[in-house]
Amino acid sequence: MSRKALMRWGGRLVTLLTIAGIGLTLLPYFWMLSSSLKTGSEVFELPIRWLPREPQWSNYPDALSRGAFGVYFFNSTLVALAVMAGNLLFCSLAGYGLAKFRFPYRELSFRAILSTLMLPLEIVLVPTFLVVRGLGLVNNYGGLILPLAVDAFGIFLMRQYIKDLPDSLIEAARLDGCSEHGIFWRIILPNCTPALGALALLTFRDNWDQFLWPLIVVSKDRLKTFPLGLAQMEGIDSAAYHEIMAIAVIAMIPTAIIFLFFQRAFVRGIALSGLKE
Amino acid sequence: MFRQKAGWRGLSLQTRLCWAGFLFVLPALLHLIAFKFYPMVEAFRLSFYTYDLMSPPVFHGLENYRAVWNNPLFHQSFWVSVKYMFGVSIPEWFLALALALLLNRRMPGRPLIRLAYFFPIAMSQIVVAMVWKFMYNPLGVVNTVLGSVGVGRINWLATEETALPALILIGIWRGIPLFGVIYLAGLQSIPKEYHEAATIDGAGPWQSFIHVTIPLLMPTILFVMVMSLLSAMKVFLNPLVMTEGGPNGTTRVLPYFIYETAFAYHRMGEAAAASMVLFAFAFALTLIQLRLLRRGGVE
Repeated sequence: MSRKALMRWGGRLVTLLTIAGIGLTLLPYFWMLSSSLKTGSEVFELPIRWLPREPQWSNYPDALSRGAFGVYFFNSTLVALAVMAGNLLFCSLAGYGLAKFRFPYRELSFRAILSTLMLPLEIVLVPTFLVVRGLGLVNNYGGLILPLAVDAFGIFLMRQYIKDLPDSLIEAARLDGCSEHGIFWRIILPNCTPALGALALLTFRDNWDQFLWPLIVVSKDRLKTFPLGLAQMEGIDSAAYHEIMAIAVIAMIPTAIIFLFFQRAFVRGIALSGLKE
Repeated sequence: MFRQKAGWRGLSLQTRLCWAGFLFVLPALLHLIAFKFYPMVEAFRLSFYTYDLMSPPVFHGLENYRAVWNNPLFHQSFWVSVKYMFGVSIPEWFLALALALLLNRRMPGRPLIRLAYFFPIAMSQIVVAMVWKFMYNPLGVVNTVLGSVGVGRINWLATEETALPALILIGIWRGIPLFGVIYLAGLQSIPKEYHEAATIDGAGPWQSFIHVTIPLLMPTILFVMVMSLLSAMKVFLNPLVMTEGGPNGTTRVLPYFIYETAFAYHRMGEAAAASMVLFAFAFALTLIQLRLLRRGGVE
């Protein structure tokens, strides 16, 4: 075999390996889906049963009836959307201010904002709880949402993007007599939809997933988020794995749909976080 | 420069712009002061007090630090965290780069293959925790598959030697696609001409990788190194839901230790003192990161 043919076959082999690797990546999710449709006894059956004999669709309503999952779903969605809205608004405002204006202590403000990247919730957990308690927001939607409504990463992302927009765009609007906030709403926001899209998706995903913060700030069942509800169900009834998997499948639906529809923006957002541009 | 005159319209354009810019930044700045800077100062202050959430805080000097320092569970947690951070990060650095290189090759169906690899990034942490807990069950699929090659049943999450490695494996599996995306973006930003020039100069694929790809990818590599450590540092959900920090504290990472001290034992001051250690980790890593961001053209 010639060297060239060898290279070609080698390339094909690598491609095949790449495709085979997908199996390792997705297998746990396949297992979850398949197990969610099995009977309780099929779940641990030997030899391994990759697909259920007969899909048990009733697992889903049965599992959902084991907790107020409708409420948890609503709470998670509400929190994720509210935190997302807060981040989109405040981060783009701040990003615009930092990118296109000169004012005293601007660089200091930017550094201060960036420095909060090293203060994740895990570190300021106790005092943040005390602040929220002081505001009377324990066991309250406000307490779930407010501390997360602005994130320095979002400000950084928006600043980087807005910085690359041409100044002439803003100056022309200003000459036309457009007010400063009018420029923000009518010129800046429409021109940074890619960055806004990426930020929206990333914040939605991260906050649909919120676990630690709701765990601490909420104890009433009607305020629990979906991850909390799922963990709680698992803690109580750790044997009924087919039903736990059914709830897990439901938990992955919102982010999975968003990913499949907006995967370009999603991937770009993550790539943007890698200090590109 | 900051003197307020009668009426917005009466100000000179320059002063007006100065104010406008400041006002745009203000809401975010106030939020971060209330929910980041003030809590941080408060955490530092609290670390010198005894406080149980009920009775008023009492000043106790360095007592909390001494208590934490003399607590063998804290030392254990510290080392569990260090092991977890490096155990997850180091394999991620290499495997994520390998994945990015594979996905950067020309091949049929590339968009679909990329989609399949990146799909797990969208998945919730809680879903991941549940699925793996199910798979690590003594009767679960991990043991079934290993059993078919002659390995005996292991209760992965309840055995001291295997619990932390089991969690580390999940961390790696979860991180590869995420950092793969970042590496891939880095690879795509390398102009093709560089590789073509290297090929013309007689470089093979390996030499071109070592002498062209790696140096140009260096900012991304450093970024991934820091980010992976930072995110592994914060792991909390998996130890809580999968092992409850056990068996025997072998998976009680620092965030879990802090959570337990504060909200199970109500020793807020000690928890604050322990968070200072976590902060020291984050501080060191973020300093490196900010330096890299600056080099990446932020300023």
